[in-house]
Amino acid sequence: MSSRIISLTAVAIGVAIVQFVLPVSALAEINRGPVPRWRVEVNPIDARGSSIAPEFKIAIYENLVTEVTKSKQFSAVLRSGDSSANGVSNLLILKTTVESYTAGSETKRAVTTVTGATMLKVRSQLCTKDGHVVLERVVDGNVRFFGGNLRATHNLARNVANALRLATLPEPLASGSAR
Amino acid sequence: MRTAPSGPVLRARAVLGLAGVANNSMGELSIQDDVFVYSRHEGPTVRMPLSAIQGAFLSQEDKQVGGMPMALVRAATPYGGGRVIGLFAHKKYDFMTLEYFDSHGGLHGTIYQLNKGQGHVLADELGAKGVHVSGLEIAAAQQRLETNNVK
Repeated sequence: MSSRIISLTAVAIGVAIVQFVLPVSALAEINRGPVPRWRVEVNPIDARGSSIAPEFKIAIYENLVTEVTKSKQFSAVLRSGDSSANGVSNLLILKTTVESYTAGSETKRAVTTVTGATMLKVRSQLCTKDGHVVLERVVDGNVRFFGGNLRATHNLARNVANALRLATLPEPLASGSAR
Repeated sequence: MRTAPSGPVLRARAVLGLAGVANNSMGELSIQDDVFVYSRHEGPTVRMPLSAIQGAFLSQEDKQVGGMPMALVRAATPYGGGRVIGLFAHKKYDFMTLEYFDSHGGLHGTIYQLNKGQGHVLADELGAKGVHVSGLEIAAAQQRLETNNVK
């Protein structure tokens, strides 16, 4: 009899410790089940009148797909026009608009060190399907010393993925809009 | 069944974006009938129907040669000798950018780096097959042609 009392007391203490240690939000998630995660569709880059070369636009797009996939923040990363995005409710659209672009030169960088930097600045927006902007950031990516000019696009995509990772996104609703 | 390439086979570096192929890997580009083919000695051959290509863009860029070893040599050379090396250790390359759709309708882009002059060969091949090719130099050449025709 006394051993049963001891074991019940131990269980009660264990439950109390779990409730004390785990944050309330984590307990709420356990009660509700797993929270649905967003999917993201990466849109092509909008040059908006800048003189950015098409290979840079494509390189930014491809690097964004790679880096956002690597961050594992979203349940799926879809390309623009992908038919599997049709009818998906929890979908965000990543729009990227070029704010400024300075063409660099690898040779100038090698010879002078201080000139010839390739500089890119973009505005990244995460929107819901109905056009509501969930997140907006201005991000840059540069190459100042070593590497080819296209490395700026890789740096930029990594910075965008980091900005998305650090941001707090609202939870998706069943209708596809943000809570 | 594989068919023989209808045009020249060009050595090219797949800079990025080619599915199943590591970035910056060397291979050979060719056009076989209506298929754009990128093949390597090791690894899979990538085939892309020309009808899937939405557009192609040709550009030219100056790049330092020698990669990381040359960069280290430049950095280690005293009395600013590295800068002098950098002044001469560069080469012009053609870059061919292709935009295409996969079987799900998703947009892809690939960039190929070719030796100087070979980009025009590839652009002509693609243009002859009905792919829309653009680029500063091609536009300039067309303008020259139109000017000559007017004269």
